[in-house]
Amino acid sequence: MKTNSVKIIALLSVLASVLWGYGLVVMVQDQFFPPSASVPSKRVAKAEHDKALHLVALGDSLTRGTGDETGKGYVGYLVDDLRTKTKQPIRLTNLAIKGLRSSQLVEQLKQLEIQRQLKQADFVCLTIGGNDLFQGGESLRNFSPQRIKQTEHAYLQNLETIFRTIRTANSQAIVFYISLYNPFQQLNNGQITSKIVRQWNYDSAEVAARYPNIIAVPTYDLFELHTNEYLYSDQFHPNKEGYKLIGERVSALITFAKGEGK
Amino acid sequence: MINLVYNEMLKIVRKKRLFIISAIIAVLVGLFTYAQYKHVQDVQKRLGTTDWRTQLQQQIIDTQNRLNSSGISEEWRKFLKIRLQQQQYYLDHNINPSAPGAPTFMRMFVENSIELFLPLMVMVVVADLVSSEASGGTMKLLLTRPVKRWKILLSKYIAMGVSISFIMLALVVLSYAISGAVFGYGGWNLPLLTGFTVQGEELNTANVHLIPQWKYLLIELGLASFVAIVVGTLTFMLSVIMRSTAAVMGIMLAALISGAILSNMVSSWESAKYLFMVNLRLTDYISGAAPPIAGMTLGFSIGVLAVWGLVALIVSFFVFITRDVY
Repeated sequence: MKTNSVKIIALLSVLASVLWGYGLVVMVQDQFFPPSASVPSKRVAKAEHDKALHLVALGDSLTRGTGDETGKGYVGYLVDDLRTKTKQPIRLTNLAIKGLRSSQLVEQLKQLEIQRQLKQADFVCLTIGGNDLFQGGESLRNFSPQRIKQTEHAYLQNLETIFRTIRTANSQAIVFYISLYNPFQQLNNGQITSKIVRQWNYDSAEVAARYPNIIAVPTYDLFELHTNEYLYSDQFHPNKEGYKLIGERVSALITFAKGEGK
Repeated sequence: MINLVYNEMLKIVRKKRLFIISAIIAVLVGLFTYAQYKHVQDVQKRLGTTDWRTQLQQQIIDTQNRLNSSGISEEWRKFLKIRLQQQQYYLDHNINPSAPGAPTFMRMFVENSIELFLPLMVMVVVADLVSSEASGGTMKLLLTRPVKRWKILLSKYIAMGVSISFIMLALVVLSYAISGAVFGYGGWNLPLLTGFTVQGEELNTANVHLIPQWKYLLIELGLASFVAIVVGTLTFMLSVIMRSTAAVMGIMLAALISGAILSNMVSSWESAKYLFMVNLRLTDYISGAAPPIAGMTLGFSIGVLAVWGLVALIVSFFVFITRDVY
């Protein structure tokens, strides 16, 4: 009995070692003499539509939720709010990247999978431009009207491209373009920066108006009175309360839009 | 010769180590299967979808956000960047790198155990192969037989190889059987990408090609068994040199663990790449992860390991044949 088990173990192991050895041979063939690289071509999957309400969030740190210690951001509060209003399951895909500028978003939107996600979307939330304009506070502290004008010009062109790409990918979804607020309102040159932000928002809304179902959502007023209460300690991003305000604002619009669209 | 090897195998099996190792593997596979199952469920719940593309896209976005945050080390940034490019490549070509299934689980288990777990199991069997004869006093009895010394040692070495093969077999069979009960037994033909090479911070995709998962797995198992044999040979050498099994274990354990730690922080100490323990993660070259030190390649690592193994083999035979036993 004992001797048999030893024999069986030995036999099995020897057989197995043939397999491992073959594995090494395959490895040498495959890794050191790779088959004439038939680079697989890019392929894109079909968009699938399921019953869930699909929300795609795009943009920069605002959409990401930087500054909110719970990590939800306005998108999180928006989804929370929507869940209380509808029994339909909600699917959120947050594709926002911290520090993203409009030109980078244009690049990101070229990716096939991002386009596929957009195709599936019922709603799209978008924040962009904050990093173009403020550049982490640089351009406003030592700003020149000339430079701001250039920045804005480039930005508006990118925004046009972004909206066009979204509309081409998905002609139905309702897009909420969340416009800017002025985090530097209470600083020395608050008057001037506010003027720039207002102009910026106005021009952006003009671009949005050229496309059907792209809605420019103002946030400027939300932060106008109590700027510091709604800002995170970096004095730039909203805090939890600030994000809640934005989330509520968009949420109110979606209920309305749902009655219309669906 | 066959009889000698058989005799050695009998000793190994009698010690019941192989069964203990199989039991350890079974328990660990069970744990990992459960953890993986929980993880998959959690991700699905969080994203509200079972679509792997959405999950992978979300992972890519998360990585991009981490890359943008300050305060991550340069090595980690590089690692993330390489992985990011690779994930994007998978996504662009509509290939799921981690489709659920027992073969995928096996692949990940092999990839994660090649550096530490598998060598430890090998060490448990090999550490006392020779030293126990010395400390137990049976060495003299063994050497008084009319058999040449090198034959005795060779039979022990072959028995070691057989045991290692058994450990690998146990690892494969158990992980397939146990994880398959949860994830399903299919998925051998799923396509996977290999042939990525890392150049600085960029991922080179010139040689990338598709291979079915079974072939991928076969390659990884071949590499794992090679690593196991090299670690086994090193342990074998120590076992010949030292009488105390505990000392053998201690040294090997220290070397293996220091290897696991070193791989995470040696990128600036370039000559560390000649140490055997930072070269153990051979499967990383197949999957295309960034190597711990710039300039390390599959061929280089195999070479380093082979040299260490050969030297250890020569030393152990030399010491065993020339040593005075009294």
